[in-house]
Amino acid sequence: MTGPVDRRRAALYVVLLAMVAFYLAPLEAGLVTAFKTETGFLRTTPFVPPLGAEQFTVDAWRTAFGRLRQGLLNSVLMAVPATVLSALFGSLAAYGLTNLEWRGQVGVLVLFVAGVFLPYQSVLVPLTQFWSAVDLAGRVPLAVVGGNEGLIQLSITHIAYGVPICTVLFRSYYATLDEEMLEAARLDGASALTVYRRIVLPLSVPIFAVTLIYQFTNIWNDLLFALVLVNDPSNQVVTVALNELQGSFVNQYNLQMAGAFIAALPTLVVYVLFGEQFAKGVAGET
Amino acid sequence: MARLELDSVTKRFGDGGDAVVAVDDVTVEVPDGEFLVLVGPSGCGKSTTLRMIAGLETVTDGEIRLDGSRINDQPPAQRDIAMVFQSYALYPHMTVRENMRFGLEESTDLPADEQNDRVESTAEMLDITELLDRKPGELSGGQRQRVALGRAIVRDPAAFLMDEPLSNLDAKLRSEMRTELQQLQADLDTTTVYVTHDQTEAMTMGDRIAILDGGELQQVATPLEAYHRPANRFVAGFIGEPSMNFVPAAVEGGALTARRATAGDAFRYPLPAAAADAVDDGTDVTLGIRPEDIVVDAVDVDPDHAFEATVEVVEPTGSENVVHVELAAGPSVVATVDGLQQVRAGETVSVGIPGDAVHLFDARSGSALHSRSLDSVDLESRRVRP
Repeated sequence: MTGPVDRRRAALYVVLLAMVAFYLAPLEAGLVTAFKTETGFLRTTPFVPPLGAEQFTVDAWRTAFGRLRQGLLNSVLMAVPATVLSALFGSLAAYGLTNLEWRGQVGVLVLFVAGVFLPYQSVLVPLTQFWSAVDLAGRVPLAVVGGNEGLIQLSITHIAYGVPICTVLFRSYYATLDEEMLEAARLDGASALTVYRRIVLPLSVPIFAVTLIYQFTNIWNDLLFALVLVNDPSNQVVTVALNELQGSFVNQYNLQMAGAFIAALPTLVVYVLFGEQFAKGVAGET
Repeated sequence: MARLELDSVTKRFGDGGDAVVAVDDVTVEVPDGEFLVLVGPSGCGKSTTLRMIAGLETVTDGEIRLDGSRINDQPPAQRDIAMVFQSYALYPHMTVRENMRFGLEESTDLPADEQNDRVESTAEMLDITELLDRKPGELSGGQRQRVALGRAIVRDPAAFLMDEPLSNLDAKLRSEMRTELQQLQADLDTTTVYVTHDQTEAMTMGDRIAILDGGELQQVATPLEAYHRPANRFVAGFIGEPSMNFVPAAVEGGALTARRATAGDAFRYPLPAAAADAVDDGTDVTLGIRPEDIVVDAVDVDPDHAFEATVEVVEPTGSENVVHVELAAGPSVVATVDGLQQVRAGETVSVGIPGDAVHLFDARSGSALHSRSLDSVDLESRRVRP
């Protein structure tokens, strides 16, 4: 019964399993290390599970969560509005650049596309200069800013930086919308904004899922802008807090690993929440 | 409830040297309640004309008037015009009810319950009441077509525009919908402009048809008038299936002669008096004759107008046979004969071209010089009881 086909199939699965193991090994090592005591991670190789009671502990998780809690909260306060608003603005811009006709739109589109290719590093200096020139607290009521000026600056920066890529993502999706359907809505008496609100927006759910996941992951994981723009320790976001778990003398690997998992959890949750729509959006379904 | 006028309407795409004229100086008036069909080959400008009326394209030159007032610069929403698209263009995320109500919500101030009443009664008229709570994705092509119609009707607009609304349906459904649409339009008595490339649709549905070619209006006439009295060679060839036969010929002493490439007798066709009067000796003309007017295996045809011919191909359609014959004197023509008449490929037959059925066109300009004689056809007859 073991014909050549079966053997080939067996080989295929072996290769696939090897690739899965290779890909998951670091995650596995991180996860088991997070549950080890100091003796545990010093005495065993990283990917071996904690052996016995003296090597196993959940203390690292407790400590990591305690030290990251403020950062997690700050990150949520910063990343959620930044994600939602950059996606919404990108969607609006894409609608205006794709489904409406006006003079000079090609030039504007070129600017948006160029914005996608600007590396973070190249804007650091102008960005800090910009924020030191703009007195946010002086322009927005103090109650809104509160002690969160750094977070608001970071959020606005991410919105501005995210709009170009969001626009490009939405544009490719809106180009597939039935032109006649939008014309029908105009003939039905709807204004350009009403067409957006009642036709285009409800049909954008799959591409919103793609953009929200993409943007949230990007913004949540960003360290560079956060390091440069946020000086106030109370405004520290989770990536910066995670970076500080690294001790100066002793490396507490269990703490760092637990912290990394805690910091990564929200992006995973977002993916699970929007996963089905994400698949549709990537497949280009309308 | 409106009279629609197009006055020297022109549409140019692009500027300067590489401008393309899509619609060239089209003037046509659609009286209140008329069903006008715009017909022509693809790219003739019929859809562009419709889109200009809808306000989806700007008008380069000329004027479009609805009940006497100029609407060129009004946005589509303010024109009180509803359009049915080829792709149906339904809103996929809304139920049929929401699709139909959308236009009422956006363009009227009607209270909600009145909007619902109008949707319900329109749905009843179109027999789609049981579909009201479904979404377009759950409907068949024919059902979507009805919803698209319903969405236009429910607004009770001054005019309907329809852009090839039946061309996505299968043949059987299409002919059913054709009849239904005509009846519906006659009942509603709303001015309608209907675009199609299908001459059968144009012939069967229109009160009048406007034939376009290359952006230029060729003729506006009742279907039978366009059929029997075509203004030019293009109209003669476009209207009618199979197409009219054309034979290039020269007028010589009250008869037509066609040179042939190979040796042998030339094709010679003595013209009846009425036709001969319409043309000058020595001019080049095109002889036109409709396939159904050609008699195959002629027994009682005037010998002057009977020709020996060989049958090349026979295409039976059941009700009739389409016969391709090559005259011994040169030209090949297509004839239709009764489905029960036996004609076989390869046979030698006698082919009659009756003198009262010939059309003559100017060889250069294509304009009609002489049309067939008619005894008792009412060219103005309406397609549906008003």
